[in-house]
Amino acid sequence: MKKNSFNGLNKLIIYVLLTIFAVVSLLPLYWVFSTSLQLSSYQSKDMERPISYVDANPPKMYPMGIPLYFEHWSGAREAKKADNIEDEKYHREMMEHIVDNTFSSFKSLFQKHDIGKWFFNSLYISVVVTFGILLIDSMAGYVLAKKKFPGRNLIFWIIISTMMIPGQVTLVPLFMMIRDLELMDTHWALILPDLSMVFGVFLMRQFMYSIPDELLEAARMDGASEWRTFWTVVLPLAKPGLAALGIFTFMNVWNSFLWPIIVLNSAELYTLPVGLKTLQDANLASFKLLMSGATVAAIPMIIVFILFQRYFVKGLTIGGVKE
Amino acid sequence: MTQQPIGATPKKEGTALKVRKKPRRTIFLQMRKNYSSYLFLMPKLLLFILFVAIPVVWAFVLSFQEYKVFGSEFVGIDNYIKVFESEAFRIALKNTLLFTVVTVPFSVISALVIASMIFVLGKLSQSFFRSAFYLPTVTSMVIIAMVWRWMYNYEFGLFNYVLGWFGIEPLNWLGQSSSALWALIIMQCLIPFGVGIIMYLASMGSISESLYEAARIDGASTFKQWLYITVPLLKPTTLYLVLLSTIGSFQVFTQIIMMTGGGPGSATETLVHLIYKTGFRDFEFGFAAAQSVVLFVIILIFSIIQFRVLRHDE
Amino acid sequence: MLSIASLGLAASVLAACSDDTKEVGTADEFKGKITVWDGPRWPDKDENKFHWLEAKIKEYEDAHEGVEIELVQVPWAEMGDKLGVAIAGKSWPDIAPVDISGSAVSIDHIEQGVVEPLDDYFDKEAKADFYENALDAYTYDGKMYGIPNSITLHSMLLNLDLFAEAGVTPPEGGEWTYEEFLDAAKKLTFDRDGDGKIDVYGFSTYIMPGYYEAWPFFYKNGGSPLNEDMTEFTFDTPEVVQAIQDLADLKLKEKVAPETHGGNDVGGTFQAWANEEQRTVAMQPWATWAIGAAQGKYPTNFAVANYPTGESEKPTTIGGVGGWVMFHQGEDANKKAAVADFMKFISTTEEQYHMAQNYGIFPARVSAAEMDPFKDNPEMTRAMEMSDQVVMLPRHPEWRKIDEAIQTQLQLVFNGEKSAEDAMADAKKAVDELLK
Repeated sequence: MKKNSFNGLNKLIIYVLLTIFAVVSLLPLYWVFSTSLQLSSYQSKDMERPISYVDANPPKMYPMGIPLYFEHWSGAREAKKADNIEDEKYHREMMEHIVDNTFSSFKSLFQKHDIGKWFFNSLYISVVVTFGILLIDSMAGYVLAKKKFPGRNLIFWIIISTMMIPGQVTLVPLFMMIRDLELMDTHWALILPDLSMVFGVFLMRQFMYSIPDELLEAARMDGASEWRTFWTVVLPLAKPGLAALGIFTFMNVWNSFLWPIIVLNSAELYTLPVGLKTLQDANLASFKLLMSGATVAAIPMIIVFILFQRYFVKGLTIGGVKE
Repeated sequence: MTQQPIGATPKKEGTALKVRKKPRRTIFLQMRKNYSSYLFLMPKLLLFILFVAIPVVWAFVLSFQEYKVFGSEFVGIDNYIKVFESEAFRIALKNTLLFTVVTVPFSVISALVIASMIFVLGKLSQSFFRSAFYLPTVTSMVIIAMVWRWMYNYEFGLFNYVLGWFGIEPLNWLGQSSSALWALIIMQCLIPFGVGIIMYLASMGSISESLYEAARIDGASTFKQWLYITVPLLKPTTLYLVLLSTIGSFQVFTQIIMMTGGGPGSATETLVHLIYKTGFRDFEFGFAAAQSVVLFVIILIFSIIQFRVLRHDE
Repeated sequence: MLSIASLGLAASVLAACSDDTKEVGTADEFKGKITVWDGPRWPDKDENKFHWLEAKIKEYEDAHEGVEIELVQVPWAEMGDKLGVAIAGKSWPDIAPVDISGSAVSIDHIEQGVVEPLDDYFDKEAKADFYENALDAYTYDGKMYGIPNSITLHSMLLNLDLFAEAGVTPPEGGEWTYEEFLDAAKKLTFDRDGDGKIDVYGFSTYIMPGYYEAWPFFYKNGGSPLNEDMTEFTFDTPEVVQAIQDLADLKLKEKVAPETHGGNDVGGTFQAWANEEQRTVAMQPWATWAIGAAQGKYPTNFAVANYPTGESEKPTTIGGVGGWVMFHQGEDANKKAAVADFMKFISTTEEQYHMAQNYGIFPARVSAAEMDPFKDNPEMTRAMEMSDQVVMLPRHPEWRKIDEAIQTQLQLVFNGEKSAEDAMADAKKAVDELLK
C-alpha cells in the first residue's frame, strides 16, 4: 500500500472510479438544490399549455430557467435590433417570469410558511445545547480523567454503559418524564434531554488524559482555585477536543427528528426537520417547495462542515477509540 | 497490535482500587477533600439521572404495565407475551433483519474499498474525496428521505428515467411489496458510509510501512499486500464499524416515516417504526416499552455475536 | 380485553363525581388561562391563517377581564397525532377542533373521562339548531361531547376542460351509474400528443390509513365495514369485495388509472388533478377543502358530482363532522363554564356562516345553512346537496387500528398483489381479533 507503488495508469483508474462514486453519492444533494431552483411553470408563445419542469418526464438535470433565460435574453436583443417592440416586451416579460418563478418557492417559504421561525428555533436550540454540552461535559470529563475520588470509576462506567442502550428504549419514559416536569410543547423538552447525552463525557475524558499533570500541578502551586485551573488551563488545552465535540453535538441537534416530532405541538416551536415533515404532509405542497425547504435546512450544516472539516475527522477518530 | 487513533492515551488504572482498600472513614475523608470534583460532575450527573438513568429503569417497569390515562395497572409479563405472539412484530423484525444483513456488510466493505482507494492519493485529493464522501452524511436524514422519495417517484423519478435508458419498464419502487424494502436498502447502500471511510483512512495511516517493505521483498503484489496486510490489520476498526452500523440499522426509522409509513401493507414496517406507532399512535405505552426492551436485547445479542466472530478468527 | 372492567368502573366513578358536583359554575367569575388548539384556516391579506380565531380571542378577552386565552397553532396533518400524544401525556388543551370518533379522540377516551360532556350548557332547544347527524356525531351514550361546527363530505371533482378535450359530456346533474362512470373514464384516458404514451388518465385516488376518498366506491353495492352491533367485520361480503376489485381494476385491468392509483402520495395525487402544469387526471374524489383549493389557489374549471352508483342504486358518500371538544377539566366549575362559554362564542350561527363562506365547509347549524352561505358558489351548493347521502364510519374504540388493518390490505389490492377477496379475508382475521 505504499503510495508510489501506483503508476500513472492505476492512479487514473482510481481517480475515475472515485469520481464516479462521489458523483453518485452527491447526486441526491445536487438534486435537492437543482429541484429547489427548477422552473415550475413555463409557457412560451408557441406552447398550448404551461408546463412544469419540476414534474417533467424525463427529469431535467439542471434548473431549466438558466438556458431559457438566455434564450429569451438573446431573443430580446434580436427583437430590439429588428425594432420589434412587441417581441422585445414579450421576451423581457418572460425573463422576468423565469427569475420570479425560479426563486418563487423560497419567497413563499418565508412569506407563507414559518420557515424563518423554524430556522431560528433550530439554530438557537443547537447553539444552546452545543455550548451547554461543551461546558458540562468538559467539566465531567476533566474530573473523570484527572481527579481521584471515591466512586469515579463506578460513575464513569455507569454513564458509559448507557451508550449501548438504543434511544428508543427510553422514548416512552422520557416522554412521561417531560410530561411530569410539565415541559411538553416547550423547547426545554428538547434541550434538557439533549444536554444529557453521554457521548461527550466519554470523548472529553479521552481527550483530557493527554493534558500533562505538571501543568495542572503548576496552576495549583500558584494558588489557583479548581474552577480557575479548569477555566484558564484545562479548557484552552482541550480546544481541539471541544471543537470536535461541538461540531458533532451541533450536527446531532440540528438534524434530530424523532424526539421533536413527539414533544412539540405548536407550529411556532417547530425545528426545521419537523417543519419539513409538516410541509410534506400538507397536501398542497409542491415538490419544488419541499426541496427549497430542504435546501434551507441543509445549507447551514454544509457550511459548518466545510469550515470545520478537520475537526470532524478528529472527532470521529477520537470517538472511535476502542477498549 | 495497537493503532489507536489520535488523542488516545494509555489508561491509568488502579487508582480506584487503592481507594477501595482503605477503611470506610478514609473514603468519607477522601470525598470531603474532593468535594470540588463532585461539584464539577454535578450538572452532568443530575441530567444523566433525570433523563437517562430514571427513564431506562422506568422503561423496564412500564413494560410490565398497561397504560391508562388515569392510572396504569401491572399486567405481569402480558406485554412480552404479546410481543412474541404479535404478527406485526415478527414482520417488523424480519424486515429489520433483512435491512441490516444487506446494508451493514455492503456499507462497511464499500467504505473499506473507497478508503483504500483514497489512501493512495496525494494529500489534496485525499481531503477532497474524504469531504465528498462525508458531505452527504452531515445532511439530515429527513432531507435525504424526501429527495429519495422523489427520485423513486413512478412518473417523474430519476430512477425510472435511468431504467428507461436500458429499455426497462418503469417500476413502482415504493408502491410494491416486492420492491419497497429493497428500494430502502438500495438507498441505504448508496448513501456513503462517511464515518467508516474517515476511520479506515485514519487507521491505515497508522500501519507501519515496514510491514509492506517485507512483503514487497517477498514479491507480493499490491493487491496481495492489501488483502493480507492491510485488511487484517484493520480488523479492530472493522469490528467497531460493523457494531456501529448494526446498531444504527436496527434503529432505522426516519426513512420509513418519511417515505412509506411502513407500507404497502407492512412491507417496510421496521422495529423502531412499530415501536413509535405502538407508543405514539396507539398509545399502548406498556406494549411499546416491552417491544423496545426486546429490541435492546436483540441488539445486544447481535453485538456480542459480532464481537465474538470478528475477534476470534484471527 | 383485560381492562374493560376497570374502564367501566372509571367511567362510572367519573360519572358519579359529575353528578354529585352538579354545580354548573359561572363563566363570568373565572379568571385565568384557557388553552385552545386550532389548525390553519383561511388566510388574511398577510397570509395569516389563524387570524379568525385570533380576532375572536381578542374580542373575548376584551369582554372578559382576567381571562387569557392561549392559541396553539397545530398543522392539520399533525393534529390527530399531536392531540393523541397530548392526551396520553395528560397535557391536553382545554379546547381542540376534533371529532370524537376519529383518530385522536376515541370512544375509549370518552369512557376514560378525557372529554367533558357539554349537556349542562346546551338545553334541548339549543341542541335543536344542529343538524341531527351532526349532533349524533358528537353524542355518545346520550351525552353531548362537543359542539358540531362543520360537516364535511367527499365528492367527485371533474375537470371540465379535460371532459371537453375528450368530448365527454359530464353526468347530468352529477348523477351517474358506475357503468357510465367507467365509460367516461375510458374516454378520458388518452394520448394527447400521439407519442404512444398516455397523457391523461380518467381517474385516480390513493389509499392510506385515515383517508376515505376511495371508500364511497366500496359502498356502491351496499355493505359496511362492521355489522350493526360492531361485533363482526363485514367488508368481506361479495358485493363489497366486487366493489373494491372494480376500483382497483380501473388501474389493473381497464388501464384508465395511472400506476400511482391506490398509492400513498396524497400531495402528488392532488397535484395531478389540480396543478395547472399537470392536470393528468380528469376525475378524483376529494373532501370539500379541495373545492376551495380548486376555486382559489389552484383555479380549475371543474364540476362536483356524486359518487357513481352500483347495485344499491343509491349514491353514497362518507362524511365527517368537525367541531369543538372540551377536554377534562379539574375542580374549577367556573373555569369549565368559561371554557364552554368561549366554545359557544366561536360556534355561533354567524361564525359558522362566516366560516362556511370563507373556509369552504358546511355549517352544522341549521340556522347558519339557512343564511345560504353558498349562494354565489354553485360547486359548494352542489356538494352540500350530497349531505343526505352521507354515511358515517363505525364508531368503535379501536377504529384506528381496524382502519389500519383494512387500509393496509386495500393497498395490496390496488398494487395488484392480492385479490380483493383474499385481502378482505385477511383483513377479517385481523379485525375480528380487534373486535373481540
